[in-house]
Amino acid sequence: MTTDLGFWVLQTLNALQLSMLLFLLSVGLTVIFGLMHFVNLAHGSLYAFGAYIAATLSGTLGYWGGFLLAPVAVAALGAGLYFSLIRSQRRAGPMAQVLVTFGLIFVAVDATRLVWGDLPIGIAMPAILDGQIALLGVDYPLYRLFIIALGLAILAVLTLVLTRTQVGAMIRAGVDNDQMAACLGINVERMFFLVFVVGCALAGLAGAVAAPVLSVTPDMGLQILIPTLIVIVIGGLGSLRGAVAGSLIFGFVQTFGAVLLPTFSAVLIYALLAAVLVTRPEGLLPAKG
Amino acid sequence: MFTHTPLRLATLALLAAASLTYALAAGFFGLEILAEIAILAILVIALDLVAGFGGMVSLCHGALMGVGAYAFTVAANDAGLTALPAMILAVALSTALAFAIGAVCARSTGIYFIMATLAFGQMAYSFVFQSPLFGGDDGLSGAPRPDMTALGIDLSDSRTFAIYALLLVALAYAIATATLRSGLGRSLVCLHHNEKRLRALGLTVWRAKATAFAISGALAGVAGCLAAQHTQYVSPGLLSWTVSGEALVVVILGGLGTLIGPILGAILFVILKHEISSITPYWHAIVGLILIAVVMSRAQGVFGFIEARMAARKPQAQIKKVKADA
Repeated sequence: MTTDLGFWVLQTLNALQLSMLLFLLSVGLTVIFGLMHFVNLAHGSLYAFGAYIAATLSGTLGYWGGFLLAPVAVAALGAGLYFSLIRSQRRAGPMAQVLVTFGLIFVAVDATRLVWGDLPIGIAMPAILDGQIALLGVDYPLYRLFIIALGLAILAVLTLVLTRTQVGAMIRAGVDNDQMAACLGINVERMFFLVFVVGCALAGLAGAVAAPVLSVTPDMGLQILIPTLIVIVIGGLGSLRGAVAGSLIFGFVQTFGAVLLPTFSAVLIYALLAAVLVTRPEGLLPAKG
Repeated sequence: MFTHTPLRLATLALLAAASLTYALAAGFFGLEILAEIAILAILVIALDLVAGFGGMVSLCHGALMGVGAYAFTVAANDAGLTALPAMILAVALSTALAFAIGAVCARSTGIYFIMATLAFGQMAYSFVFQSPLFGGDDGLSGAPRPDMTALGIDLSDSRTFAIYALLLVALAYAIATATLRSGLGRSLVCLHHNEKRLRALGLTVWRAKATAFAISGALAGVAGCLAAQHTQYVSPGLLSWTVSGEALVVVILGGLGTLIGPILGAILFVILKHEISSITPYWHAIVGLILIAVVMSRAQGVFGFIEARMAARKPQAQIKKVKADA
């Protein structure tokens, strides 16, 4: 099995697909933390909302309608959260933030159960991506390739914005030293809001993209939360590069661990995380220093 | 440092009297709830010891409790130990695990500490969930209750078991207060406020943190053994991080860093859970809203609120009460 090239291609693609999904989630969370020092445990719930909204809208508007509107709806939800809860908790310390957003998870899970019910919801793939394509000797689902491509595209856009534009420079300055950035005339408050909403939109997008592959259930937000947190802690809180590195490490360790070392696969990623925390408590590629 | 103010002593006496009266008077369902409260109370005492006094906010206490519960069940069922040695073994295991976690995480603070403990908790969860020895998703059944028939005590009776559980709560509380009054406890409170100073004074910081965490883990292990004996069934759900999160919620709702507050919180939480879940299946949402409201209002939980109100009535008492244990 392991000498077959097809096996490696297939598993590499699977790993990449998982990595890109996690990247979409973790990049928002990590930049929000880097900029605002805010830990949003409810980020997974935003992802679940994205999946539900996409599933609901796809019934009337087709898949692409849901795909485009879910991030917008989740961003609106994020904006509401920002003004009601997040802004006042920004300086409250990690424990208060963890608790408030933990409470939000409870509310979000029950809200989805109330609106959409306990049973998993299915969502059809768009016709254009429903099929397989032959790639280096393996047949691979087109939709999963689309997830990889989308992740890479978002990564490219974010990299360009963060490194080549003025807004990007302002965000990097804010991550580095928000007080100094404010002294230089940057409206840090507005930037926080912008980054938070974009992070929420990306979580919604991840939900919409994951919906056809995974089943849409009320606890999907809780299930994705731990992997996302692992990604940002391994990568280093606050940095784009860290989110990329963390996502790739998680995706590959998880995928190859499951096929090569099935008995240890569940513990493997946590052991890796522990090793990172012991040797480099700030993660592999932290935003500062 | 932890001190017993008259208010705290009065609350303790009231709690002891009320719970004993209830244990003697309640029916079967009430006794089951009392045992459930006792288990949660021990767990939150353990958590408050490290989180409230040492600032070590842990999200792995559910896992420590679950390890205790599983170790007890396996030791009793497979290794053929009687309940008492199995309990000692289980508590020793969760203590050792907590010491290791505390030692590794001692360098991390704030959100990194929370994340690191979360990771270790999830590691234990995945291990138990996947290992065939522990029955996977199905869990294990058949954990025995301690056999005290020689003393004329029958723990299979739910009233006797509830009183036994209450005694364990008292024991956990005594251990926690003794720890806080010891040199280690004073170091722990200091560490929360100024770690650098204690380092300069020559304290081996990681060892103090790990030891405190180990004592807390031992108490969590006791809660686990009690949970296994209560339902005589253990499932991986015990180790889930949401259990740790709920324990943290109870500590906050009750009053962080007061030891008594979290016990009040446990009583309120279990009763609320049963009351609300009999009305609506969405009781988690209501708990979530209460939690958000409490944290947003910056109140120090139920007991913190009572203490603040009492202190406000006597201005000089407010000055005397140094905010060391907050």
